[in-house]
Amino acid sequence: MWHRSASFIIDRLAQNENVTNPDSRPLSSASTVMAADNPNPQVSLYYQTRAAHHGVVTSDWLAQAQSAVGHHHDDSLSDNYASSGEEDKKISVVDEFNNWRQQPDLAEAVAAIRALSSVIRSSQATTMMELEIELKRASDSLKAWDTTSISLTAGCDLFMRYVTRTSALEYEDFGSAKSRLIERAEKFGEISYTARKIIAMLSQDFIFDGCTILVHGFSRVVLEVLRTAAQTKKLFRVFCTEGRPDRTGLRLSNELAKLNVPVKLLIDSAVAYSMDDIDMVFVGADGVVESGGIINMMGTYQIALVAKSMNKPVYVAAESYKFARMYPLDQKDMVPALRPIDFGVPIPSKVEVETSARDYTPPQYLTLLFTDLGVLTPSVVSDELIQLYL
Amino acid sequence: MPDVHSLVNEFVVKLKKRKVEGSKACAKLTAELLRSFISQQRLPQRNESGALIEAVKSVGEELIAANPVELAVGNVVRRVLHIIREENLSLTTAAVGGLSLPAESDDEDDVHDDYPALSATMVAAAARSALRPPSLQTLLEDVPNTIAVPYTPSSGGDSERKKQMYIFLLSYCMVFHNQLRAMIQIAADKNSVTRKLKHNVIEAVNELIQEISTCHEQIAEQAVEHIHQNEVIMTLGSSRTVTEFLCAAKEKKRSFRVFVAEGSPRYQGHALAKELATRGLQTTVITDSAVFAMISRVNMVIVGAHAVMANGGVIAPVGLNMVALAAQRHAIPFVVLAGIHKLCPLYPHKPEVLLNELKSPSELLDFGEFSDCLDFGSGSGSPLLHVVNPAFDYVPPNLVSLFITDIGGHNPSYMHQLMNEYYSADDLVVRGKSAS
Repeated sequence: MWHRSASFIIDRLAQNENVTNPDSRPLSSASTVMAADNPNPQVSLYYQTRAAHHGVVTSDWLAQAQSAVGHHHDDSLSDNYASSGEEDKKISVVDEFNNWRQQPDLAEAVAAIRALSSVIRSSQATTMMELEIELKRASDSLKAWDTTSISLTAGCDLFMRYVTRTSALEYEDFGSAKSRLIERAEKFGEISYTARKIIAMLSQDFIFDGCTILVHGFSRVVLEVLRTAAQTKKLFRVFCTEGRPDRTGLRLSNELAKLNVPVKLLIDSAVAYSMDDIDMVFVGADGVVESGGIINMMGTYQIALVAKSMNKPVYVAAESYKFARMYPLDQKDMVPALRPIDFGVPIPSKVEVETSARDYTPPQYLTLLFTDLGVLTPSVVSDELIQLYL
Repeated sequence: MPDVHSLVNEFVVKLKKRKVEGSKACAKLTAELLRSFISQQRLPQRNESGALIEAVKSVGEELIAANPVELAVGNVVRRVLHIIREENLSLTTAAVGGLSLPAESDDEDDVHDDYPALSATMVAAAARSALRPPSLQTLLEDVPNTIAVPYTPSSGGDSERKKQMYIFLLSYCMVFHNQLRAMIQIAADKNSVTRKLKHNVIEAVNELIQEISTCHEQIAEQAVEHIHQNEVIMTLGSSRTVTEFLCAAKEKKRSFRVFVAEGSPRYQGHALAKELATRGLQTTVITDSAVFAMISRVNMVIVGAHAVMANGGVIAPVGLNMVALAAQRHAIPFVVLAGIHKLCPLYPHKPEVLLNELKSPSELLDFGEFSDCLDFGSGSGSPLLHVVNPAFDYVPPNLVSLFITDIGGHNPSYMHQLMNEYYSADDLVVRGKSAS
């Protein structure tokens, strides 16, 4: 946030210095922390995984990323986890999480909670307090592993909150409490799946016959919404933005074509041009923040601005476990999540590229949020969060 | 039984023919009808609340279908369903909660004494959470579906284990266990609980009817806080609530002026202006088209509503969207007066179409003069002149500054909180079991 200097020349000089001398920069603490735990500090793991799910990355980028991961993996891990006798456990939390995350249909928070439940399973603790401390440590290491993923942070926090709240109250016997926690963590996967169904059901009324929907980004929740509408024989058509550089639009249009829904692909710049024909905008969310705004794939803010200026409603479909205790004041007020862009042609090294993978859409541009807690207006989000964390 | 059904049918016919006008009248009649319906219901011995809810749902579905635009009917049906659920819950928690009192008073061995109290409170909390709306807190918890949770064998099981471990508490545990068994028997005793449930529900419905009847007075009490000396108020058409509101302020010796837009095609603004003038208020009558011209001279706009939706949007008599836009353009507060019975838990998907009603075109044009254009027999068989007379307008929430309800003033984004208090999430779609 402090990088906002009018004199970008000084910034660039400082940046060059940083490249040669990585310890001298006190302001970039966030990025150095990320560098310590993350094999490749220039790439956000969260978006890397999402891109991998979409399967339209170019092969040489993938080779590059894989080699980077393989090279740094052993070094950084052995540097970090030098604490006594718990190296294996910590490494396995992150590994477990990465394993779950690779599955394309699994939500991020579900993967996190499954990883934490594996910690409970393998834990040697005999009291609730000890278990909680272990879980806290595991959850912190997961969060540090990928600071850019909001669902991960929110899922970990939610689970920790659940553990601390139910632990002392209900059970006399530690063993039964442990098994109960593991059971609830496993069930969370089902909860997440039912959440998508509930959201799809709630949004059906808002899709009327003959409407045109604009979709941005590849959200599994939004796909579920459209799939349910198509299955109930509603007549509607969908405009998909191309979604550079991940090409999410191509993937989404494939899925929709399978459902026999009329689809039209737009390049990202054609959104304002087509906004007249559009009746509503549907997006998913990577995270819902405390102000009621959302953090989503780059381009969402732009589309919301255009929609608002033309009085079109913007609907967000997000599960409730994506609510996070963040309050970004502007676009740069988040942990940077960078993602390399392949332009197909070589770019001279003097030219900078904006590689951020996501943006923040303030609540005044959103109309309604469809969540498994019901249909909410953006002002309700902070109420829910206060109720949980107070 | 037969006379209740005939009452229901009579009311359904009245609603279909639009003989009952005004949301307050509809709400009151619906509540009274449901009260007679409930008092005449014969409930089974087990799961009385479930049977009662199903019965009310089936009647409610009929009533709502008779006049879907009159949202107050659906609101009252949902309020009654919520009342039934709440009364049932308070009866069951009272039955179980009575057990926790002797446990807490005995502080010899705190840790272990907590268990009978905790299992009772845990069980009560679980039942209570079944009634709470879904929230982040309960996301991971296993929320039980029925309120039969208090009678699970687990609470008995805990005390069984205690009996084995703590001999000096043995006698106390036995007493506790027997008490629990006795309570379950009493609770399962058909007569007392059924009677109690019906009785409590009818009492609560009476309170609801009382609340609906006195909503105007409650709202009018707040008039003095909002209307100040030498202000100019604007309103459109005529609303009972607004009349009472303005007159209450006049009673409290506030002197102010009122601009009344006539509210075509019914011109109810004329009647309102006459009434205000007889009560001693300085009134000015303007046409609807003059609203934009006169709004700059106005301090505040006060209007009534037909219904308030869950997002804070307002279904109001036609013409009010225009007044709201004018008020926003000139940064003038747009205040909506609405009783709680007008609060609807649904979201407006397409309010201009779904929640609107087309009234008779004769209010606009005299048929005699225009008979040649409106004639179906001439020319191609369909007339070239159409007359559309919608009854309602939708005012989006961002145009409304304040809602004044019988429980106080709120801003539009607060309306959803009231939903949780007055309605249950299960009742959003009122559908009787026979239909599904």
